[in-house]
Parts: sequence; structure tokens; C-alpha cells
Amino acid sequence: MDSFVILCFAVVNSVALLALISLGLAVIFGMMRVINFAHGEFIMLGGYATVIANHCGVNLWLSMLVVAPMFVALIGAVAERLIVRRLYGHLVTTMLATWGLSLFLIGAVTAIFGNTTMGVSAPLGNIPIGAYSIGAYQLFLIGITALLVVSSLLALHWTKYGLIARAAMQNSEMAATLGINCDRVYAVTFIVGAAISGLAGALLAPISGVLPHMGAAYVARAFVTVISGGGALITGFLSAATILGPVEALLSYFATPVVGQASLLLLAVIILRLLPTGVSSLWTGGR
Amino acid sequence: MKLSRRSFLGTSAALSAASIAGSFAGGAWAASDTVAIASLHDLSGALDIYGVPSNLCMKVAVEEINAAGGLLGKKVELKVYDGQSDINKYPQYAQKAALNDRVVMVQGALSGAAREATRPVLRKYKIPFIYGSFYEGGLCEKNTFCVNTGGNQQVVPLLEWSFKNLGKKLYYIASDYNAPRNFGIWNHVMAKREGGQVLADDYYPLDVTDFTAAIAKIQAAKPDVVHSCLVGGPAMSFYRQWAAAGMLKKIPIISIVFAAGNEHEVLAPEETDGVIVAYNYFQELDTPKNKEFLAKVEAVAGKNHPYINGEVFGGYSGVMLWAEAVKRAGSFEREAVLAALESSIRWEGPAGVMTTDGPTHNTTQDVHIIKVENRVWSLIEKKEQIPPDTYGGKCNVFTNPNQTDFLMPQI
Repeated sequence: MDSFVILCFAVVNSVALLALISLGLAVIFGMMRVINFAHGEFIMLGGYATVIANHCGVNLWLSMLVVAPMFVALIGAVAERLIVRRLYGHLVTTMLATWGLSLFLIGAVTAIFGNTTMGVSAPLGNIPIGAYSIGAYQLFLIGITALLVVSSLLALHWTKYGLIARAAMQNSEMAATLGINCDRVYAVTFIVGAAISGLAGALLAPISGVLPHMGAAYVARAFVTVISGGGALITGFLSAATILGPVEALLSYFATPVVGQASLLLLAVIILRLLPTGVSSLWTGGR
Repeated sequence: MKLSRRSFLGTSAALSAASIAGSFAGGAWAASDTVAIASLHDLSGALDIYGVPSNLCMKVAVEEINAAGGLLGKKVELKVYDGQSDINKYPQYAQKAALNDRVVMVQGALSGAAREATRPVLRKYKIPFIYGSFYEGGLCEKNTFCVNTGGNQQVVPLLEWSFKNLGKKLYYIASDYNAPRNFGIWNHVMAKREGGQVLADDYYPLDVTDFTAAIAKIQAAKPDVVHSCLVGGPAMSFYRQWAAAGMLKKIPIISIVFAAGNEHEVLAPEETDGVIVAYNYFQELDTPKNKEFLAKVEAVAGKNHPYINGEVFGGYSGVMLWAEAVKRAGSFEREAVLAALESSIRWEGPAGVMTTDGPTHNTTQDVHIIKVENRVWSLIEKKEQIPPDTYGGKCNVFTNPNQTDFLMPQI
């Protein structure tokens, strides 16, 4: 029984981690069709902002939940203004430009902080479950990921800004004739996406530590999740995470971690072969 | 034999080329009043945490030798090359050191991959290679001399101690590449010898940062001790998550790689307290020789010098052992220096007595089992004068002078 609870925890944790690292990308790629190769570096910057703020004496929760997303939002705003804004609609060009941005950010952080691991330790202690115990912070991580996903869903479908954003994404010319400033909507969406990625990095910092090139470990998994998810913005990537996460966690547990990682990728390939526009095409009809 | 003009010219040209090359190789240091040795380390990039302090230790050794009047009346010059954490740079710089800078010894190439890229180049140009990193053991090559601990010298004492004091059930979690897999075999060798049990061998890719499933698996297996051979920045997540799950106080961790990248300084004390490792050297070692050594390190690199651990200490012991061999040989020539190294050079340094072992081309030395508490290491037990493993007699450069392959431990 205890071991079953522990295993369930590992599975839910795996889904939550995939969702957490993908949400920011889902907002930017899913809504704007901008392939943001610097996504991993936004996560990395969020982690660094948390660690540095915390080392400077800022409360850990404040550094994670406020400082990191605000800092990365600022970086996102600058990147949007200087680079991404000029390239909307040019898929390949944005890809190259954001890749360049990614290399620049890795280089800049390495130059400033050195190529070493930094970190803060996880707060909240642990919770005993029978003979086992799990980190309370990881439960918090699962909770806050759920909260983030639900609030993004609500914001998109139940707020005026969500409606405007969806309108601008779906048909920008029509939206513009109705008096919506599409450039502004794009900018705000990009900044929000960056802030969410920053928050993800901040939340990961206490359990994984930060390194200049840590983004590489996340960006591929985030892309796999978002693309397997398909067109439906939030429900899409969430369903992909729910399919891929357990497979990886269970196979890592029962077989080896290498098998777990490989199966995640293999499963994504199979999903995209059968449903070329992603899992969510099952209920959106491939739109 | 009919001597044609063409073949005569060809032969004599080859002969004179050979003699010129020979006179260069021999004459470079013979004529000048300095002699060059090479430090080939990663001074930038992902592996600079090992390379920079190891290079520093070589520098300390060279300054000590020169302050005492040099070697055979010559000043030792340290030629420093930055491998940039890029394997491709190693053969290039090894070649440059041999042909262009005419060094008489090369030390460094700490990672297994860098070592394997460097070894054949130095073998080809007949420049002795001193290998300063601890490693999986089983390298018994004529041109290479290993001055740090080989696999058995760390793993055997640590596992003996652990099976005796911590319990019989061991769980192995490691990064997935050659050296940790080789150390994994040692677990089974020792479990068999000590009546212990290896519950699992879990190998993780180097970029994994989520160890939730791994920790659940370890909890389910209920081992007495976890043996970690996780390497690199991302793998440090394991220790964070292990501590966050409250396991640090429940199941002890032993390791032979932890702290080689100064993990005990990067991670918080509450994530590392109680981890037990085995190395030939650690900075807190309380001996007069070590106090002298640390004063010299401070003189070269200042008060805030990087922590000197067993991994990078080889930078110092390697140069010092080589210097002792040069003194005994009375020459910088490869053959003479190697012969001297093979004649049991005894040197007492900060880590105690080290004696080079002729047949295995490895080094007999003390190993310290140590434990970290609040980022400070303290001694649990000292194992004296542990000889390198002979791999059932196969590790012997006298009987197998042409051996270059690695030997594996047999269960």
C-alpha cells in the first residue's frame, strides 16, 4: 500500500514536471506559433534569479514567486521588442533568432556566474508515508502546477483579455478591424509566456540546482509535450503530459531510467504518426 | 644488393631526417637551462571545476621544485594548455606539447575520455604521461604512470568498511558511462568477498535532473546503504531530492566521486551532512606536511583558493613523484625516468607515503575514509599503504610491455 502511494506520487510528479516546464512554451508556441528556442534559457534565468535573490537575503518564497517571474518577464519584454516582434509569421527565422538568443543567454550567464552549479535547498521538510517519505516541497510543486494550469485555462476562456488574445491569434486582421491592437496583444502574450517559464525555473531551482546550460535538459521535453498535445492550447499539452509522464515514470521505476526516457520519445513519435496534429485533434477535429 | 642512386638518396634522406628529429628531441632540453613539462587540463567549460585546481596543484609543485634549485641544475617550466572541456583539443595539444614545445612529461587529461584521447598521442611521440586523477583502475601501460588511486584502491577499502559498519545490503545508483559501470563491477566483487548483497545497479543518463522515481525505487528496496557514483552538475539534483524526501538521515550514502567536483560546497550542509567518501587526500588532513603544502597553495593562489580534494591533489603528487624519478635517474630521458619510476620511488607528501609500483605502473598509497559535516570533512578511518590491483597478474608492464588496453575486474 505504502509503496503504491509512493509510486503514484512519482507518476503524478512526472506529469506535473512535464506540465510545469511546458506551460510557458505552450502559451508562446501554441498561441503565437513562435518557436521559442530560448525557452530552456528562460527557465534557467528563472532559476538563477531565485538563487541570486535568495543569496542576497530575499525570502525564498518571494524570490521564487515574485522576483523570478518578474525578472524573466522583463527579459522576455526586451527580447520581444528587439527580436521576436520583427519576425512574426516567419517560422524558420524566429527559430534561428531565438536559438541565437538561447546561445547568447547561456554565454552571458556563464560569463557572469561561471560554469558551476548553484542552488538553494528545498524548503518544507518531508512527509512520512508508512515506511517511506516524500518531499513536501514536491507536493507543493504539484499543487502549484495544477493551480497554474487551471488559472491559465480560466484566464483564456473566461476573461476579456483571454477573449481578445484568442481573437488576435485566430484572425489578426479581423481583430485589428475591430479595434484590437494586435502588436500589443502579441507582446503581452510573449511576456506572460516568459514569466511562466521563469516561474517554472524558479520552482525547479530548489530540487535541481541551476547551471548555465540546464535549459537543454528541459527544452526538448517541453517541445515534445507541446507538439504532441497539438492545437488545443492548455488541454492539449496537459493531455500529452498526462500520457507521456506516467509512461516515463513507470518504466523508470520498473525497468531502467534509460528505457523510461526512450519510451517517452518513442511514444511521442507514435502519437504524432497516428494523430499528426496532436492528441487534442481527437476533440477539436484537427483544427 | 644493387644500390641504385634513387634508393640511396631516399635512404640517406630518411636517415638524416631521423637524425635531425632525434637531435631535436634530445637536444631541446640538453642545451637550454630550462626543461618544460606540460599541464593539459580543462581550464574553461563544464569540467573546469576539476581542471583549474589540478593545474594549480601542478603549479605549486613546479614552484616548490624551482625554489629548491630546480632539477638536475635546470629550472622547470610549466607549459599550460586549456583543453576547454573539448575532447578534440586533447590530441591537438598533446601533439603540440610533444613536437613544438618539446616537453619531457605531460600531466592532466583528467576525464576518462580526455585520457583516452591523449594516451595514444603521447605513446606515439614517446613522451611519458602522468595521470593524476583517480580512476576505475586497470590501466597498465608502459608510457603512462597513474599516481592517484585506481578502482580497487578506493572502492575496496570503502566497501569493506561499509559492509562491516553500515550493513550488508547495498544499492548502487550511478551515471551511465564507462567508469561508473566499471566501479559497479567492483560492488559485486566486494559483495561476494564480504558476504554482502547488491540490491540494484541503476544507471542514469548524465542529463537527468528528476530523481523522484529513483528515490521511490530505493525506498522500496530498503537498502542499508546507498552507493552513489553520480557525476556532474545535473546529477547533484539527486542529493537535493534525497534530502528533501528526508532520506539523508535514514539511509547513509557512500561514494567515491562525491566531492571531486566539490559538491559539498555547492550543495547546502543539510543536503550533504553524513555522506561518506574515500580519497587518498582531503584538505582538512591534519599533518605537518599538509600544513606546509596548503601554505604553498595559498602563496600561489591566495586565501580563497579552490578546495583541494583527492581528485585534483594528483596534480601535485604527480609532479613530485616524477621529480623524484628524474633525480634518481639523473636524466630527463623517457627510458631512464620510466625505469626510475618502476624502481619503487618513495615520496612522503601531504597525503602520507606514496610508492610507485613498477609492474602495474600505478601507485601504492594511503586512503582515508572521511565524512562530511557542515561542509567540513573529518577522518573516520585511515587505510594504510594500499597497493594497486594486479588484475590476477595481467597488469604487468614487464611481462606485457605492449599492453595498452584496459583491464576489467572479474567477479
